[in-house]
Amino acid sequence: MAAISSVLSAPAPKHDKLKALGILALNGMFDEMDAEAVLRQAVDELLPGDIAMVSSFGADSAVLLHLVSLVDKNLPVYFLETGKHFVETLDYVETLKQRLGLTNVIALYPDSADLARFDPDGTLWETDPDSCCHIRKTEPLEDVLSGYGGWVTGRKRFQTAERGVLPHFELTSDDRIKVNPLAYFTNEDVEAYKARHDLPEHPLYGEGYKSIGCAPCTSAVAEGEDPRAGRWRGRDKRECGIHFDFNGSIAKPVSQSSLHLFKDGAFKADPWKAWAEGDEPADVRYTHVPVSVFVEHRAAFLASPHPIGLQVNPGEKVEDIEGDLARFSSVAINFRAFTDGRGYSSARLLRERFGYEGELRAVGDVLTDQIPFMRRCGIDAFVVTNKATREALEKDALAEVPLYYQPIGERHEVPAGTRPFLRRPE
Amino acid sequence: MYRYDEFDAAFVNERVAQFSDQVRRRIAGELTEDQFRPLRLMNGLYLQLHAYMLRVAVPYGTLSSKQMRMLGHIARKYDRGYGHFTTRQNIQYNWPKLRDIPAILAHLASVEMHAIQTSGNCIRNVTTDQFAGAAADEIIDPRPVAEIIRQWSSIHPEFTFLPRKFKIAITGAPNDRAAVKFHDIGLMAQTNGAGDVGWAVYVGGGLGRTPMVGKLINGFVPHEHLLAYLESILRVYNRYGRRDNKYKARIKILVHEEGLENIKGQVEDEFSHIRGGVLTLPDAELDRINSYFAQPAYVDHGVVSVDVEREKILDPAYGRFLENNTFPHARSGYTSITVSLKPIGGAPGDATAEQMEAVADIAEKYSFDELRVTHEQNLVLPHVAIADLRAVYDALGEAGLADANAGEITDMITCPGLDFCALANARSIPIAQDISRRFAAPERAKEIGKLKIKISGCINACGHHHVGHIGILGVEKKGTELYQITVGGDGTEDAAVGKILGPGFVADEVPGAIERLVDAYIARRTTEDETFIAAYRRLGDAPFKEALYGNG
Repeated sequence: MAAISSVLSAPAPKHDKLKALGILALNGMFDEMDAEAVLRQAVDELLPGDIAMVSSFGADSAVLLHLVSLVDKNLPVYFLETGKHFVETLDYVETLKQRLGLTNVIALYPDSADLARFDPDGTLWETDPDSCCHIRKTEPLEDVLSGYGGWVTGRKRFQTAERGVLPHFELTSDDRIKVNPLAYFTNEDVEAYKARHDLPEHPLYGEGYKSIGCAPCTSAVAEGEDPRAGRWRGRDKRECGIHFDFNGSIAKPVSQSSLHLFKDGAFKADPWKAWAEGDEPADVRYTHVPVSVFVEHRAAFLASPHPIGLQVNPGEKVEDIEGDLARFSSVAINFRAFTDGRGYSSARLLRERFGYEGELRAVGDVLTDQIPFMRRCGIDAFVVTNKATREALEKDALAEVPLYYQPIGERHEVPAGTRPFLRRPE
Repeated sequence: MYRYDEFDAAFVNERVAQFSDQVRRRIAGELTEDQFRPLRLMNGLYLQLHAYMLRVAVPYGTLSSKQMRMLGHIARKYDRGYGHFTTRQNIQYNWPKLRDIPAILAHLASVEMHAIQTSGNCIRNVTTDQFAGAAADEIIDPRPVAEIIRQWSSIHPEFTFLPRKFKIAITGAPNDRAAVKFHDIGLMAQTNGAGDVGWAVYVGGGLGRTPMVGKLINGFVPHEHLLAYLESILRVYNRYGRRDNKYKARIKILVHEEGLENIKGQVEDEFSHIRGGVLTLPDAELDRINSYFAQPAYVDHGVVSVDVEREKILDPAYGRFLENNTFPHARSGYTSITVSLKPIGGAPGDATAEQMEAVADIAEKYSFDELRVTHEQNLVLPHVAIADLRAVYDALGEAGLADANAGEITDMITCPGLDFCALANARSIPIAQDISRRFAAPERAKEIGKLKIKISGCINACGHHHVGHIGILGVEKKGTELYQITVGGDGTEDAAVGKILGPGFVADEVPGAIERLVDAYIARRTTEDETFIAAYRRLGDAPFKEALYGNG
């Protein structure tokens, strides 16, 4: 496949000096909502003639394309013609081109040899959606992208859990720049922008499709549901791959140089953040809200459509939120100090007594020696900053005695019979 | 005795391997002392004044001959030829080298021993009556339940980072020899109306800087629900015990501050949720564990009697031994023997490698291979045929272990004190040695009768001074070691905390002060049978205060 060689032979990075200047500084230059200024800075000042964008021409693509039309109608706009789009999407490409006067929309097609080899009957999306995306999106883009110093994306913080920390400007690991003018736009902001500029709606939007990709992998979402919930529904997949950088990991701002969330056997990007002073109960999303704060603003949190999590600090009682547990898609148990064992009891109560089934993570002073205990108490994700612990997790070499004397709940345990206490006659 | 099965052996071996690797990393410099500290503490390894100290668990104080020999071997090969038996029925080595710890642990594992949970803020070794399974006054042998508690509490994932350490003691006899009311949880065998045996549960007892007598939280918990009840108490403690102040973190403070009724309400509520769940102990499991503690194959020796009065005339030392160091056995023809580790002028609780080996040989030959460690820092041969008494006495004598002072004034509990311990404010062992020499004469000791002196070198009270009939607490005031004397403490079922009667004494004055207390008692007792503690209860403070400080 052509893409491999393009990685190996990638030209020397052209933007070292920008890296030196500091993407961070760039990110502080613009008002969060001033998308047009961000885009103008990128197109006119930062990378004139050396930047392009990719658009899915989906449900909310119109906003960014409208901004492009204000800044530079001739900016290269690539559209991934995967061959799997809704007819309505293809119509919509034409509608927007006409309406916005875009003069440089370029369709990209998958490599026909790849299709013949890997997806001869067109059903790869069903068996292996990652590979399907790879052939139809990642590969066709790679050749094109290597010709640009940067590209514009329409990604927004609220869209998926993994995008929670998205800035305006990002440096990818191969020294390209990703520009995200809409990073801080909420769903409501998008709607307001569309209304203000009277932008045409994707034909399927009115039918409940809030985030639109290829036809087989897109379904409608219910009222109040995460807009991207309809993408790859029922599968453990959130991103199509094209927002991952060329080394395969998620492109991230330089300030977030390492990943701290260990879950399902690997360190991964963490969409969640902790509740901070000044946060608004009605607005926060992907935020772990302390029990005390939740109890105080319970009505506002319950009314909010956004995904929220719960943080259980030492001394807080999980009994206080027992009836609202279904509201949380993640619960963080705060182990404020290595020696503070209250969290183990909280974890067991959540799992064993209240039947909480979602992500249960340990945050705070999390060290290798505690993790086996935490797992037995039902914790399944760990936010780790300690270097030795990180290495132990990566090597799967925790300090652990893998034999258990006492029964703990029903989850994550070895079969009952291996423990003397439960070695009952059959 | 409990015998490891494959699971137990694998469990301990895993732990040894894990800790050996941690030691290796420490020696290689991969771990700093700060990082190593919590790890070593979970394995009983302390850093003392002069060296590392390794504390080895002796679950509920029970040892086989083979195990005792290994303790002797370790003392000889890796320490300075001796070990120190503790009030937690454990043994401590005061001079091991860090690099030898993995080898020591491997040796221990080979005889089904370990150092797991002998330190750290976790559930510690369960202690019990040193005569368990032998005593004539016993309702039930507590060792099987102690073993089940050991298993339940071993590396318990929820209770390994408690607010503070947590100690459980259990006794199967109404005469409490395990000080259960001075433990975080004390269990006393109880018979209910239906004749079933279960457990009265006391909570919140303890010594240290705030001594408290445990309070009855539940009068009868059946065997099958005992673990669920313990887990309920531990969960309430883990969640609500104070963590803001190390000195207020024990469960006794929680019970004291919140009130027994409040804590009982929380525990019972927790119990109502988990009762009948996965912790329910099936009869079959209790039977399985019970079978390990089956009675030894006693031999019917017919009617064997020893005329103690006659022996006292023929051989006064042996007579005293019979009088003081034997304890009534449930089986006729047998007795339990206390092997005193309190020679006059010696360090209480210390035994040499040779003594350990000798006592192991004697146990093998005369006590069905069994030994006990007592919380009063002595050893016990639990099942000795009365017919063998003289032979046992002679064999003990050869090993220098025939001191006949069990229960007398010179049978003192003493913490290691400033000679070893990093926490201590004052020396303890030299004080014990001085008192021991002062009352060395057997006639004098006999005249005084049963009297428990307990000495601690600091407020942490490892020497149980609060429950000494006479307690001695070493403190440091303006660079001088001072000793406060308390009177009237009692660690038995008649639990009481001793009272301070006045200012402390410098070391030199202590033996004299004790002598004055003893003389005041002898002068005022009704008969020779009225013990010191009984006389104190009858007389109150006044005569003892006067004895200590005059009546100015």
